[in-house]
Amino acid sequence: MTDSNKPSTDQTHFGFKSVAESEKAGKVGEVFHSVAKKYDLMNDVMSAGLHRTWKRFAVEVSGVRKGDRVLDVAGGSGDLSKLFAKKVGPEGEVVLTDINASMLGVGRDRMADEGFSIPTLQCDAEKLPFPDQHFDCVIVAFGLRNMTHKDKALAEMQRVLKIGGRLLVLEFSQVWKPLAPLYDVYSFKLLPLMGKLFAKDADSYQYLAESIRMHPDQETLKQMMIDAGLAKVDYYNLSAGVVALHKGWKI
Amino acid sequence: MLKPILTRLLNHLITQNSWARAELIPFAGKSVRFNMPPISASLTILEDGGLAMAGDASQPDATVTISLPIALRLLAKDEAAAKQARLEGDTELAMALSKVMQNLEWEYEEDLSRVIGDIPANKIATFGRETVAGIKKQSLNAAEMLAEYWQEEQPMIAKKRHVEKFISDVDTLRDDAERLGKRFDKLMEKLEKQAVGNTPPNSTETPSS
Repeated sequence: MTDSNKPSTDQTHFGFKSVAESEKAGKVGEVFHSVAKKYDLMNDVMSAGLHRTWKRFAVEVSGVRKGDRVLDVAGGSGDLSKLFAKKVGPEGEVVLTDINASMLGVGRDRMADEGFSIPTLQCDAEKLPFPDQHFDCVIVAFGLRNMTHKDKALAEMQRVLKIGGRLLVLEFSQVWKPLAPLYDVYSFKLLPLMGKLFAKDADSYQYLAESIRMHPDQETLKQMMIDAGLAKVDYYNLSAGVVALHKGWKI
Repeated sequence: MLKPILTRLLNHLITQNSWARAELIPFAGKSVRFNMPPISASLTILEDGGLAMAGDASQPDATVTISLPIALRLLAKDEAAAKQARLEGDTELAMALSKVMQNLEWEYEEDLSRVIGDIPANKIATFGRETVAGIKKQSLNAAEMLAEYWQEEQPMIAKKRHVEKFISDVDTLRDDAERLGKRFDKLMEKLEKQAVGNTPPNSTETPSS
């Protein structure tokens, strides 16, 4: 087959392009190295501040209580870790991980500035350096779509969860159909333009827009979580499906 | 966008009513669907005993169906109405959650005090309570007055004693009618026996007068 849209077995998506599986992590790394410093500003600009609401909702739905152990995968700049740290209190523990050193550096510095001391780890979500059944809650927010093997990553997250623990996935998703044309204009015309203006980096934001489109929709991701061994998977459409929050239990 | 807001509200209420957490924790992770035609909503119990709106793909473990009139009676704290709600699935779960939902109380004075301070909040809350009590009393008075007018001046509503007399009269009439019916049946029986006794045993012809 010479169909360029269909990646062969050792090819994967990088936005709308196909790249070799071994190259994706490096390319994603470049994108985030380039946006790390302005990442939070851009999040606020791109989502009109909504990403804060989405994250706060995720923390509320997590049902995490005082003394729980939480893993924030691909947590980057540490927004969620901070919210969770407040929730679990001093007797609990939050671990912040990311594969990208630049993003993690920004996150760790910011946590220290705001008076939170939480363990910060650079690691690959497909090979988590934690024992089985270790966390009460694992969350991955806006990170899953950048992973090369989503199924492996989900299975790893399921492995480190305790029985009765929850996996939360906050990720861009399939927008409500009538709004799709508007959303297209926004993400392919406005987003790279804003990237150019605020972060001087149109290409990286072009990648963000494209990777959002290649990410599985609500039902597909739900099935992927079930395949990874999670049960009772439920999801919330937020802001008309621009973002979806999936929650699954390990039982 | 409604679900995050409602979830925030529910969790706020649960935090104010701390007894509710202990009631709900045993059912963590379960969902209940409330049907009140034409609307329905699903709630999920969180691991910390909080409440959230259920997601778009939730499978309810129990269903509570309430008709609109019963819902209004529940709002008016009518205990008997609770028995008329239909429970399906995990009834223990449905009962626990229904009980919590019925007894949740919003401490508006506390919330208000955080915005405008303790003393003004207390003044406003007291004023609010007095106004509500006043309106309740006034509307009760008005209702009683109208009832009296329609009973005495413009008889549109029957008085209790008249209704009772009418009911007992109807009972007497029914008993009398039944007795009359029985007596009539007995007479008919007697008449038939007599007719059989008068007929000659070996004649089938009826005697002409």
